[in-house]
Order: sequence, then structure tokens, then C-alpha cells
Amino acid sequence: MKPDDVAKGRSAVGSEAGTAALHAAAVPGAVTRVARAGATLRPAAPFLIALIIWWGAWALLRPPDIILVPPNKVFSALLDLVRQGLLDAFIKVSLERLARGVLVGILIGVPVGWLLGLNEDVSRAAEPILRFFNAVSGIAWLPLMILWFGFSERTISAIIVYTMAFPVIFNTMLGVSTIPNRLPNACRTLGAGSLRIIKDVYVPGSFPSVMTGFRLGIGYGWRALIAGEFVVGGGGLGFLIFNARTQGNIAEVMGGMIVLGLLWLMIDRLILSSVEQNIIGRWGLMRT
Amino acid sequence: MTQANSNGSTIRASTVESEPPTIAIKSLNHVYFDYQSKKTVHALKDVELEIQPSELVTVVGPSGCGKTTLLNIIAGFIKPTEGQILVNGRPVNKPGKDRGVVFQELAILPWRTVYRNIAHGLEIQKVAKEEIERRVRRLTELTGLEGFENHYPHQLSGGMKQRVAVARTWAADPEIILMDEPFAAVDAMTRQTLQEELLSLTVRTGKTVFFITHSVEEAVFLGDRVIALSARPGRVKADITVPVSRANRSWREMSKNDALQECVEDVLELVRGEATASDRSGGAVSADRTHEA
Repeated sequence: MKPDDVAKGRSAVGSEAGTAALHAAAVPGAVTRVARAGATLRPAAPFLIALIIWWGAWALLRPPDIILVPPNKVFSALLDLVRQGLLDAFIKVSLERLARGVLVGILIGVPVGWLLGLNEDVSRAAEPILRFFNAVSGIAWLPLMILWFGFSERTISAIIVYTMAFPVIFNTMLGVSTIPNRLPNACRTLGAGSLRIIKDVYVPGSFPSVMTGFRLGIGYGWRALIAGEFVVGGGGLGFLIFNARTQGNIAEVMGGMIVLGLLWLMIDRLILSSVEQNIIGRWGLMRT
Repeated sequence: MTQANSNGSTIRASTVESEPPTIAIKSLNHVYFDYQSKKTVHALKDVELEIQPSELVTVVGPSGCGKTTLLNIIAGFIKPTEGQILVNGRPVNKPGKDRGVVFQELAILPWRTVYRNIAHGLEIQKVAKEEIERRVRRLTELTGLEGFENHYPHQLSGGMKQRVAVARTWAADPEIILMDEPFAAVDAMTRQTLQEELLSLTVRTGKTVFFITHSVEEAVFLGDRVIALSARPGRVKADITVPVSRANRSWREMSKNDALQECVEDVLELVRGEATASDRSGGAVSADRTHEA
């Protein structure tokens, strides 16, 4: 809407007076450019403040390196890791583990959620236990998983799949079961059979909720993964952080933490929320 | 459509004596258990009704009198406890594309554009793309939706959304259209426009329409016949033929036409007793045009 208005204003001015219009046109363009730059920079400001507080606290207290290091030391520690090729190797291990677990979690979660959601009585009965397992986080399962699968890749996969599957099951079920009966009923009167109704009503209708499940599940899975890597090891960001601590390398610990957070921001911003907004935004926030 | 018609008329010609009504409701009784109040509800009692081809029958009655239950049974969404619904002589036991429904609450799909909502029934029936385009264009014209084809429902006003719902049902070209208080949720001004549009649409397309409302004025304005249902359990209390042809009605005429005004008074009189009876149980019938949504 906005750029359109600006463009219209511009052409209107342009048709009246030539050179004056050129000057006038530059102003709204510049204004939008500044506004746009402001909008992209605004989320960076709190990070800058956090950095200043961190550095300020360090400068004030001057703690030993084993307690806290300043930002520049963390930065150079990260640079070293990159130079050694360790950082991207660890990131790769973590992301691969996450991707595998998430994929299996979705493959289990979506069909199960669907089956539970299609029947009203079943979904009502299933809700409390799903909430229960949602609350018992993946980390809480670690001791048992280690007993069952040992300090192995399987333990890590199992907790990610677990933390992924439950939010996905729960939200998929919710998405399917909250579609009002009149929508499938209306399609039935148009001559639609069950498969058609699933395709035209239940799949798109449950989509926003399924996406919420994905987003929550991947977020929980990411945390569970780090915890799993603390305990199980075998590479990955969690291993990097935990291992650096045992060596007393606080700069690497904090560097690993920062990479963790930034990676998640990227996953969430670039992939999940853009898909969500693209599709849900088009349908409107409210279901009619 | 022409094919279906010619087929229909040949069948009718061969069975001259017993031409079945489009809809026949036979000794219908419906009882169900309400989980909220934990009570058994006798919703409909001994309902008998016949609706002829191209007739527009409106049903009025206090809230909770079983109007919507009756519509759901005709649509095939619920099975009656007792009795039968015959459509062209054949018993109804499930929803079918011969009976389109316009719901009280909006039932168009929010993730489809106006065009794709209207086209939905035709897509399901695997109608050719050009034919879909032609029919959707005709209906967007008839319902005043031109220019909104690519809008999503959330970008439309309440009245426009209901137009989409009406157009979608008409596009699929069912023989019968069941409407459950479709204009209850729009403002009074828009409602009058929609009612007039519906009249011309039904006159032009010759559909058989079963229309539920709790507004007596709406019932008289739209109907060839008005069926008054009693408070629960719903029974047919009166079956009134509206004295003016549907083709010549408009709200302007409505206020000036004595025959129509008298008809409103008659139905109101019939329904008033029921309203007070059901007021005690929370229902109401309104006579004015600006009743609440």
C-alpha cells in the first residue's frame, strides 16, 4: 500500500512541474530508505546494549579469566575455532543431528496428530496425556535414555525425536479438531468425498497449528540436542561448550553459547517464521 | 442443467398421476441427548411438510424450536429418530450435491480466494475449466462480487462473505438449497439488500429453497409459504401462503402492500404465543427488521 501511495504522489507532482518534482521525489525515497534501515537495525540495538553491559561488568569487576572474559576475547576464540575449521564442523554435526531428529519427529507426529484429531472423542481423551508428555521435557528423559541406549548417537536422536514429536502431535491434533464441523459439512453438500475433504479442508485448515507445532518442537529439540551433546558428546556445539569448560576455556564456552543463540535466531527467522507468515498472513489471522 | 431438466420432465411425464414433491417430510420425530444440559431433548414432533419444485418455503419459530435440526436432517447431516425425508421420492440418508446448504455461521474456506470458493463445488464435480470460469463469472455478476475474485474472505465485509457463500452454493447448481438464517449476522441495511438479491436470484434460477429465519418479516418477504413452528418440541403450527407473487416484491413494496402487512400480522399472531412460551426457556422470535444478530 505505502510504496504505491508514494509512487502516485511522485507521478502527480512530476506531471505538474519538472525539476521541482525531481527534488520532491528524492525526499519520500530517502525517508523510506531511512525508515527501512531503522527497522532492520532496531533489533540489533538490544544486542549492542547487552554487549556493553557485558563489557562494562567485566571492566568494573576485572574477574579472572576462569570466571568471565570480555567480548573481544570471545571473538578471537571464535575466530581461532573458525580458522581451525572446528566451528563449522561442530555446527554441521549439531545441525545434522537436529535435522534427522526433526524429520523423524515430523514423520511420527503429523500422522499421529491427524489420526487423533479426526475423532472428537479420541482427541478429547488424548489431550491430558499429551500435555503431560509435553511437560516432561526431553532432558528429563536423558538418564533413562542413557540406560537404554548408552552414550550413543541413538540417545541424542531419541530425545530430539521425543521433544519434536509431542508438540507436533499435540498441535496437529488441535489444528484438526478445532476446524468447525460446518466446513467439512459444506464440502459434503458440494459433493466432496472424504479424501477430498481431507485435502481441501483438513490439510489447509490445520496448517497454521501444525506449523506452530513444528516451531515449538524444533525449538525444544534444539535445547534437548545441546543437553544431549553435553552428556553424550561425539562432537557438536553442546560438546564444544562442555569440553571447553572442562579445559577452563571460558572464551570458547561463551563463544559456543553465542553461536547457539545466533543459529537458532537464523533458523527461526529465516525458515520457520517466514513460511508461517507467508501462508497464514494471506489467510488472515482469524479463521472465518 | 438442461439435461437434468429434460430427464426430470420425461420421468415426470411417464408418472403423471403421482408426481412427487421436491421435498417430502413424513411423520418426522427427532429426540437427542444434550450433553451440556444432560437432558433428553425432543426437538421435532410429527413434522409433515411438502415442498414443490421452485418453491421458496420459509420456516419461522422461536429459538430452540428445532428449525436448524430440521434443516440438518434434510441436508443429511443427522439421521432422524423417526420418519423420513424424501427428495424427489427418494429417501435421504446422507449429504448430497442435490442439496446445497448456506450456513448461519460462515462456512466458506478462509484459505481460498472468492473465485476459488465459488468454484469449489464445480472443481469437486470435475467440471471443465472454461465452464467453471463461465459459471463463476455469471454468479459473481448475479451476487455483486465482480472485482473481488482474488480477495480472501478476511478481506471482505460480513455481507460480502455471505454473498460468497450464496454464490458458492448456487454455482454447484443443486436442485434444492437449504438456508439457515444466512443473513442473521449482517447489519440491517445490508440484510435488506441481500434479501432482495436472494429473491431475484431464486426467481431467475428457479431453485427450490428451504429458508430458516427467526424474523417474521423476513419469512413473509422471502417466502411463497411460511411455516410456523411451535416451541419445543417443534411441530408445524401453521402453513401460510403469502398472497403476493415473489417476483414483484421489494422492501419498498413490502411497507406499502396491505396484503403483505396483513400476512406479517397473521404470522406474528401465530408465533407470539410460542415466543412467550419459549422466552421462559430463553428463546425469542423477533418481528422487527433490525433484530439482533
